[in-house]
Amino acid sequence: MAAPRGRLEVRGLTKRFSPQVTVGPLSFEVQEGEFFSLLGPSGCGKTTTLRCIGGFESLTEGSIALDGRRLHDRPPHKRDVGLVFQNYALFPHLTVFDNIAFGLRLRKVDRADIERRVAQMLELVDLPQVAGRYPAQLSGGQQQRVAIARSLVLEPSLLLFDEPLSNLDFKLRIQMRYELRDLQRRLGTTAVYVTHDQTEALALSDRIAVLSQGRIEQIGPPGEIYERPASAFVADFIGSSNLVAARVGRAGEDGHTAVETEEGLALAIPRIGDAAGTAVTLLLRPERFQMATGHDGEASAVNRFAARVRDVTYLGEDLHLRVLARDRQPLLVAIKNSKGTRAIAPGTTIDLSIDPEDIHVLRR
Amino acid sequence: MEGTGRSSSWALFVGPYGVYLLVFLVLPFANVALLSVYHHSPTKIAVAGFTAANYTRLFELYYATLFLRTVRLSLIVTAVCAILGYPLAYLLARSTSRIVTLGLFLLIVPLMVSTVIRVFGWVVILGSEGLVNQALRLLGAEEGVRLLYTEGAVILGLAQQSMPFMVLPLLAAIERISPSLEEAAQNLGASWSQMFARVIVPLSMPGLVSGSLLVFSVSMSAFITPALMGGRRVRMVGQQIYEEVLTAYDWPGAASLTIVLAVLMLGLVGLTLRTTRRRARLESARP
Repeated sequence: MAAPRGRLEVRGLTKRFSPQVTVGPLSFEVQEGEFFSLLGPSGCGKTTTLRCIGGFESLTEGSIALDGRRLHDRPPHKRDVGLVFQNYALFPHLTVFDNIAFGLRLRKVDRADIERRVAQMLELVDLPQVAGRYPAQLSGGQQQRVAIARSLVLEPSLLLFDEPLSNLDFKLRIQMRYELRDLQRRLGTTAVYVTHDQTEALALSDRIAVLSQGRIEQIGPPGEIYERPASAFVADFIGSSNLVAARVGRAGEDGHTAVETEEGLALAIPRIGDAAGTAVTLLLRPERFQMATGHDGEASAVNRFAARVRDVTYLGEDLHLRVLARDRQPLLVAIKNSKGTRAIAPGTTIDLSIDPEDIHVLRR
Repeated sequence: MEGTGRSSSWALFVGPYGVYLLVFLVLPFANVALLSVYHHSPTKIAVAGFTAANYTRLFELYYATLFLRTVRLSLIVTAVCAILGYPLAYLLARSTSRIVTLGLFLLIVPLMVSTVIRVFGWVVILGSEGLVNQALRLLGAEEGVRLLYTEGAVILGLAQQSMPFMVLPLLAAIERISPSLEEAAQNLGASWSQMFARVIVPLSMPGLVSGSLLVFSVSMSAFITPALMGGRRVRMVGQQIYEEVLTAYDWPGAASLTIVLAVLMLGLVGLTLRTTRRRARLESARP
């Protein structure tokens, strides 16, 4: 395979549909071979951004460059950018072979070469036997693989994905997620991936840009986005979370700062510089709570409190509990389903603790 | 039980129109077929019997030319409608609903005007003292140009009259093509015209076929437009049938012309449908 290329630079990308509806300005860079996701709720501008890169929307302002060459003033058919659509967009009147050969024929590649490259692609996406079939004769997953092969056969330096897995059922979606990641790593093609599914973005991406209302809220690797969200929006959008309003108290001598939620739950967090009385928002991930079982009391004396269970949602691997900590502070708690959890029922009281390091502070 | 229930409700839905067709189309047509082998009589509609003479005379040069001209002009009209109608249908198919409504209205307005009125409008424009020739004379032309009573005039009139029949099926077919297919083609390196030729045209083929069949049939059987805009010079079969009945009083002769015209049209329609059906079946096949 050719050396990785496909460095994408987006500078001040702005698309104004009307004074009220504007995407951008957005700026980000995608490195060679990187898997980069644009994540956000519908209407956040992620698809618009992708369509601007593909050439199907014109920019109001800003620039897009691929490997240092200006991209934004070129028509879509001269961009050397592959696009995989949500609905696959396979040509129904052409066989799988002709679908994949479509771009090669336009490039006047000679016949023997076309046959070789199409066969190679079908091998790559693990569908060597379907060349003569029509798209309507394939399953959704197979169609999506053909669509990917159709883009990859042209060896684009950048591959765009517009929610490519959202039309597949759950199990297939997970499987295709792995296949997509493997394929992209193997070929080293730079990928920009649009999705509203946060687990998909976390599982696939090297880096994620979280978008909201046409703006980038945060760019970072999945771990950073999840652990240290830059805003309440990001914290709330990625994973389930408890966002709790609190006030900073005095700094303790053990390297912690005390905070108290508005519902009166006192917690210790890693030391911060803010003055006492500052209003902050605490992010407490539901899965970071631990259930204390009575006799290991002193080991996790910090941030240990009693909580009354209001209801239990049984999810198989996990239990989601809605609890009232110290009878006042509502919290969502996720615990592993195990032998010890069978006794938990609405009305029971459990002991919970959370490591100060697991509490993330968002400033307001 | 189930079978009889289904077939009886089927008969209920198709029955009324079936009876209507039988009484007002099949029976009269059978009558025409019968007439076409009867003997010609100058005093009666026809004399019962059997003769092939009504058909053998159609091999004379005059009639052969007449049929050839009718088929040729109808094919040209079909092509003109396809070429002018395709961009229009595409534009409407990709427009907002308000523009589509307006466009469809403008497209159908000519159908609301009687053919005779519409054709007289053309006479006013194209006649030897018509608008075009007056304008030419103002510009200093010595003598007028013959526009009316030419093949061009007949094609013009028929194409205008048939345009909705081409655009409507094309519009319906193009609307069903997902815009993402156009984008996919462009993304793969197709310029707009390459995309149109390789995606829009093949995928809207069913619309083009039905549109062409409609335009072709309407043109083949047209009577008023060729009669008034083509006159004696550009005669088509429709007018010939009319004259054989009303001027020459030759009912069997007119009947044989009618039968040949009908067989010709049915043959072409059947052939077209058969070739396109086979392709459509392949593409929509499911496992």
